[in-house]
Amino acid sequence: MTDNQSEWERVAGVSRRSFIAAAGTVGVAGLAGCTSSFGGDDDGGDGISGTITATGSNTVAPITDRAGETFMDEYPDASVDVDPQGTGAGFSEFVQGNSDVQSASRMISEEERADAEANGVGWDYFEVGTDGLAVVKNAENDWLEEITLDELKAVWEFESDIELWSDIRDEYPDEEILLHARDSASGTFDYFTENIIGEVGLIRDDYSATSQTNEIMDAVAGNQYAFGWGGVGYYHAIADDQPIEAVPVESDVDGEFYPPEEEYIEDGVYSPMARPLFIFLSHYSLEDRPNLIGSFARFYFNGQREFAPQEGFYASPPEMPQENHDKLDAVLEDLGVEDQVDVQPDV
Amino acid sequence: MSHDTAESLHTDDSLRWEKLKNRLFLGLCISASLFGVVALVLLLADVVYESVAGIVEFDISIVHFLTQGARRDPEDAGFMAAIAASVWLMILTTLMAFFIGVSSAVYLEEYAPDTRITRLIEANLANLAGVPSVVYGLLVLAAIVNGIGTGSILLAGAIALALLIVPIIIVATQESLRAVPDGLRHGSFATGATRWQTIRGVVLPAAMPGIFTGTILALARAIGETAPIIMVGILFTARTPPGPFDTFSAMPSQIYIWAAQPQPHFHHLAALGIVVLLAFMLSMNAAAVFLRNRYETDL
Repeated sequence: MTDNQSEWERVAGVSRRSFIAAAGTVGVAGLAGCTSSFGGDDDGGDGISGTITATGSNTVAPITDRAGETFMDEYPDASVDVDPQGTGAGFSEFVQGNSDVQSASRMISEEERADAEANGVGWDYFEVGTDGLAVVKNAENDWLEEITLDELKAVWEFESDIELWSDIRDEYPDEEILLHARDSASGTFDYFTENIIGEVGLIRDDYSATSQTNEIMDAVAGNQYAFGWGGVGYYHAIADDQPIEAVPVESDVDGEFYPPEEEYIEDGVYSPMARPLFIFLSHYSLEDRPNLIGSFARFYFNGQREFAPQEGFYASPPEMPQENHDKLDAVLEDLGVEDQVDVQPDV
Repeated sequence: MSHDTAESLHTDDSLRWEKLKNRLFLGLCISASLFGVVALVLLLADVVYESVAGIVEFDISIVHFLTQGARRDPEDAGFMAAIAASVWLMILTTLMAFFIGVSSAVYLEEYAPDTRITRLIEANLANLAGVPSVVYGLLVLAAIVNGIGTGSILLAGAIALALLIVPIIIVATQESLRAVPDGLRHGSFATGATRWQTIRGVVLPAAMPGIFTGTILALARAIGETAPIIMVGILFTARTPPGPFDTFSAMPSQIYIWAAQPQPHFHHLAALGIVVLLAFMLSMNAAAVFLRNRYETDL
């Protein structure tokens, strides 16, 4: 090797070395180009342009994505990038100021509040839709006609001793009950455990947990003795074609049993199995790019009662869009950017 | 009943039994080798059935599917942006992985002395080739997406895929270099050529078909990888073709997202997406086979 060094240098030839140098330069220039584009989203005061980063819930993502798509159709210079990783994973980005809009299928937790405060990230939440949780059974299951909240809790609570259908009510068959539900990464899971069982995360550990609500519905449609719960949008999407039925659940409003249908959910009697869906806005982002983020929020609120039903959810109560606008007004005023937002309330 | 072995071999009964065993073993081997083929046929049949059902029942237009980006409404959704993202990923991954992989292999095969350090490097390359792909995704997520703060850009995804296939390219290149007869090298040295001239003029041209084949097969694996891409971060809906510094959804991740949607229409789009992805992979594999057959004889 060493004795060949000088020859090596000579035959390598200038053209080749300069090619390598040129390629290296291009590479470095490319990298430099990419660093400058990372933060280059400022909208310069006039015109709505730039990139909005949206994290959060898998459940709410379709609504935010629909809002983003409609917004981008209207303002082609803007881009709304929705990357859903789950409510919890999204909050951990949001409280570090890495996200502008956070979709959430539950309220922010104490721990997440503390993190946001420690990082100096201010936020506000806005209700943008309603989701129902469907309790589902197989169509061949002819014994389960309704379920009380106590029974639901008994089936799912931590260290539950219900193994057979007959453990719920004596007249049910002596067959093993096959349980399917969401895993702990989801806001749906947090909502169910908090509101049905009584404490977040306190659930039996021997059920089939998945991050895909589709899989829950498919599993229940595939076995007579299966039982589960999941977002009602997923249930309605396959209910016509697959042997699956929703079980009427006791209402904590009037003690009657209701199936997860639009009228009961929007009336508020399908409770506690219906829940509000939220977006959280970062104060930092609103202050940094008021026109882009503020306009998107206004646009979202203006259309929210259409976006949610288009994605298989239920509209938030009729007064919600106005309440959201009022809340945003207050935030924008606090930040001193109230006159920099192009899109106006229209509800 | 106790026969001794030599005797039992000569009785008719035992002979028949031995022949039967022979046939049973053959049958076992054939069914084992058919197992993979049957699984592949079932997979293809299922995907093609789902796609055709989608085209018929939901009136999915193939032209629209291939020329438009994804949308929230399944009727308007297409695959073009995801295809463009995958093509970008392949280009950037090739640029990064090919030169690093081939250079490492040339060093290890042609220059490196057989020392403990060299053997340590080779052992580690073998280990790297066995690392689950999601680990590369996590590495890039921590070091580049969050560490440098690039965000979930396409270039970061390409880096994850390049890390994934560099060990494969190194091993394939080493094999090809080893297959070049030493006589060629010695002949070249005998004419007074330097090591660099020998490698450039004799060894690499002879090994190139093998190197290309290995690289294309590695890329065919990379284009279908989902885990590292999902770790780096994906767009929920890939509407417009991305550039290297944009957030993106490549083919596998867009398929993953569609398959997780409630509406059956999206599931058929996912099936059609799988057909497109498989078409890419099969044509890459076909290109690799073609290259191998074409140049095998020339050597």
